[in-house]
Amino acid sequence: MSADRSASRMVAIWELVAEQAARRQARASVVDVCAAVVATATVSGAALTAVTPAGGVHLICATDEISERLADIELTLGEGPRADAVAFGGPVLTSDLADGDAVAQWPVFAAAAREAGAAAVFAFPLQVGAIRAGVLQMYRRQPGPLGASALGDALLFADTATLMLLDAAAEGAAAGTGPGGQPIEIGVHRAEIDQATGMLTEQLVTGVEQAFARLRAYAYVHDRPLSDVARDIVERRLRLLPDDEMPRSGAR
Amino acid sequence: MDGRLLSDTFVELADTMVVGFDVIEFLHVLTDRSARLLDAAAAGLLLADPRGELRVVAASSERARLLELFQIQHDQGPCLDCFRSGQPVVVTDLSAAAGRWPRFAAAAGEAGFAAVQALPMRLRTQTIGALNLFRASTGSFDQADTRVGQALADVATISLLNERSLRRSETLNEQLQAALNSRVAIEQAKGKLAERLGVDMDEAFEVLRKHARASNRRLSELALAFVDGSEKLPGLSAGQPPESPRRGEKPGRPH
Repeated sequence: MSADRSASRMVAIWELVAEQAARRQARASVVDVCAAVVATATVSGAALTAVTPAGGVHLICATDEISERLADIELTLGEGPRADAVAFGGPVLTSDLADGDAVAQWPVFAAAAREAGAAAVFAFPLQVGAIRAGVLQMYRRQPGPLGASALGDALLFADTATLMLLDAAAEGAAAGTGPGGQPIEIGVHRAEIDQATGMLTEQLVTGVEQAFARLRAYAYVHDRPLSDVARDIVERRLRLLPDDEMPRSGAR
Repeated sequence: MDGRLLSDTFVELADTMVVGFDVIEFLHVLTDRSARLLDAAAAGLLLADPRGELRVVAASSERARLLELFQIQHDQGPCLDCFRSGQPVVVTDLSAAAGRWPRFAAAAGEAGFAAVQALPMRLRTQTIGALNLFRASTGSFDQADTRVGQALADVATISLLNERSLRRSETLNEQLQAALNSRVAIEQAKGKLAERLGVDMDEAFEVLRKHARASNRRLSELALAFVDGSEKLPGLSAGQPPESPRRGEKPGRPH
């Protein structure tokens, strides 16, 4: 367990997503994340729902009919792992929908999901602290937990999808990502990035999603590591202003 | 060891666990009290993220947090060895450990630490993290203290299994991820508050904790609400001008 191993796994995850995008001959998006999840994480299907600023939930993509059906059931019933993952603020991992706990927790959803063909469901909230972008959900036709390495991959896929959704929401298609849609920084998690994001909400008088997007966009435009920019902000050597230049795809 | 302090600590931890339990707040109190109780200058707590990296979840000071981070970044140090082996690691004199961890020994010395003890957080056969105690002077660690330290590390492990059903094997991973995300939200809230009040991160954290306690709310819940704007913390913003260019130049902030 080391920063290097974490970084190399993240790179491997990105390559899997890029591979799916290349197959579609399109720019990498959350559609490719879902496809890569199914190709990698020993699950039968995956779906991604996004949250709109107004709080609405939208199904963005689903790899198969069962995944789509599960999302429909949950959004119709208002109960299930998706909503629980959002409320809990962490993944909700249900290795057997026939299990007493699952049935007790979601009496209607558990039965309907099994009828639709799912035996296990795993919901990962797409979040960075207070930033909440949606949920990545996977299912399996056979019951059984995700193994340690599949779980690690699933979390990294969820991280990837989170950044993609945030960038899309920030409207800067290029904001914060490299030419191949890759994140500009991988590896050891740094509290400075989170602290700088919080500071920017005040400096820019904006929401936390926009503050995070601006931080990443600034690092990208100035070709600097995100953690360096974050440290400059935390140590008060750098301030961003609300009208600072903002990269907009196609605008310049 | 001060027996009164020990019993006070366990009463405080038990109280924290019962009233509006918050994993991050709990681990912070535990880390902080471990340092005080076991005569350490600082303490830090690392947890393994299934993504493949260790994360600093609590630290009694910014100095301790940076030193924990240093070990993760440079992939060396007693805390990493403890985590990998699942066994306690004791270093009574860090200056003599330069051969084993050259970079770590130097960084620890620079930060003012002379001895370190790393205690594993174990759950059945799995090691899920480590509690690390840093001391300012060299010397051996008392055996009775070590037993208390290990008990505190075990309590930290158990705290991660609270809340959701213990029968489910997925509980630990669910809790761990939720705790890690709470940690991120708290860092975001510290940043927002530090910027608003013109204070450093440690001070911002204390303000946030005090407010959570005074209003009887979970720290991570308050942090989330403050960052997403649903909690304004009006008392704290009073008298603070929204724009003041020199505000950030406040002297005395660490690092």
